[in-house]
Amino acid sequence: MRRTAAVLAAAGVLSVGVAACGGGKSKSTAGKPGAGKPAVTLGAKNFPEEFILGQLYTQALRAKGYKVTLKNNIGTSEITYKALTSGKIDAYPEYTGEIISTLFGKNNRPSTAEQAYAQAKQLVGTQGLALTQKTPFFDRDVLAVLTSYAQKNGLKQTGDLKKLGAKVTYGAPPESRTRYQGLIGLRQAYGLTKMKFKPLAIGLQYQALDAGQIQTGDVFTTDGQLAGGKYVQLADPKNIFGFQNVAMIVNKKVLAREGADFATTVDAVSAKLTNDAVQKMNAAVVIDKNSPADVAKKFLQANGLI
Amino acid sequence: MSPAPLAVTVIPNFGRGSECVRDNHTFCWGWFTDHWGDTFRPALTQHVVLTLIAVGVGTAIAMACALFAYRQRWFEGPFVVFSGFLYTIPSLALFQLLVPITGLTTTTAEIALVSYTLLILFRNILTGLREVPEEAREAARGMGLTPRQSLLRVELPLALPAIIAGLRVATVTVISLATVAAFVIDKGLGAPIFAALQTSFKTEFIAAGGLAVALALTADALLVAVQRLLTPWARIRVT
Repeated sequence: MRRTAAVLAAAGVLSVGVAACGGGKSKSTAGKPGAGKPAVTLGAKNFPEEFILGQLYTQALRAKGYKVTLKNNIGTSEITYKALTSGKIDAYPEYTGEIISTLFGKNNRPSTAEQAYAQAKQLVGTQGLALTQKTPFFDRDVLAVLTSYAQKNGLKQTGDLKKLGAKVTYGAPPESRTRYQGLIGLRQAYGLTKMKFKPLAIGLQYQALDAGQIQTGDVFTTDGQLAGGKYVQLADPKNIFGFQNVAMIVNKKVLAREGADFATTVDAVSAKLTNDAVQKMNAAVVIDKNSPADVAKKFLQANGLI
Repeated sequence: MSPAPLAVTVIPNFGRGSECVRDNHTFCWGWFTDHWGDTFRPALTQHVVLTLIAVGVGTAIAMACALFAYRQRWFEGPFVVFSGFLYTIPSLALFQLLVPITGLTTTTAEIALVSYTLLILFRNILTGLREVPEEAREAARGMGLTPRQSLLRVELPLALPAIIAGLRVATVTVISLATVAAFVIDKGLGAPIFAALQTSFKTEFIAAGGLAVALALTADALLVAVQRLLTPWARIRVT
């Protein structure tokens, strides 16, 4: 009987150990005494442009003496936003149109980038979150097809796919199935109700297009692959993909705690992010396989931000 | 802290990748060796640490529970159902379910990894103990060993081959599953695999995947060696 008790006690100690370990680590973003400014955890979503953005802001803030932890490659907008609202991260770069449509489920379509930014800022504001200044660059989703396929079928804009009916398979990240900026919008705004859907991880669209597994793919306008002329983008006259400038969503409490320099540093980086700059950085990572950290460092150095 | 000057953005030269890299050939050695230090060596080290912690904690819990079930038979059924339930949860789902509780931390990854080792280890430890010949136990009793001494000096050593067989399966399973842990923590060999998913970069897939396979084979070989060292009588019996 005594042995049984000892074994049970051992199991108990173990489980307490595991639990204590869990409790301790998840709160490690709280301020460390004597470290100057309190530590901040930044997040980045799950594609190369976000990896680069995460590195840009992290390195610029570190250069100003902030203690920054970067949680890279967290997941989709939905997952990353959940990490933010549950306090697992303090801030992450997000696209204004994604905030409006994906995170808050609004189907209205702002007519300018400024309107989109204002609406996004107001929406996150209701959740105790702030939005830093938006970047000059914007990266929208767009439907791409092989240039040869577009010529054969006379495709210029997204609605032209309707005449091909069920012969078209649309390849996009799984979350597109339930997003207005995805399958829902394509059906409602362009009547592409017969089009088939194939969920693909971000980045596989180009391969799938090459292999003929899909006829059209959801890609980003700043993708390095679009530069070669092998693919064409289909225009989005109904603007379902919205305006997609980037701004950092920051927990208001964290922003207040870090002082004014925090937002100023972030805004200084954002101000430099033009379409051309971001496209070149994407190409440097995706095509030339440089690491996002190196690319961000070179960019920040060249622009006097670190 | 001066406000951002509205000067033109400077775009530096980021460096052009080799033709091998740009055309995404099967494997670019140059790129791999260039990134061994900043990507693959740290990823491999993190992977080993993730695995050691998971197997270590898993073994401790499974051992405690198996010893309990060895004395208290009723405990076996419920624990097998419980650990079997954990074992069948798809790993991606489990990682994601834990995020709201333990966050995007190593703890999240470890809880999931440990839970996948429990069923295998518990069963093997318990089976190993139960298969100790009754004569060996009786002999131990006859020699005047207390139940605890019998357990430590006779029963556990005789169960060792079964226990190590369980450890081998658990270790290889954890090494493989730990690549999926990169879904929540961006650590280990899964991190380069997840990054390569975005760019379809074959070299990165092959390098990270190959290292995971090599790690699994090495760990398995080490455990076999440990078993040979700890059970010298088995070798004598064979020859």
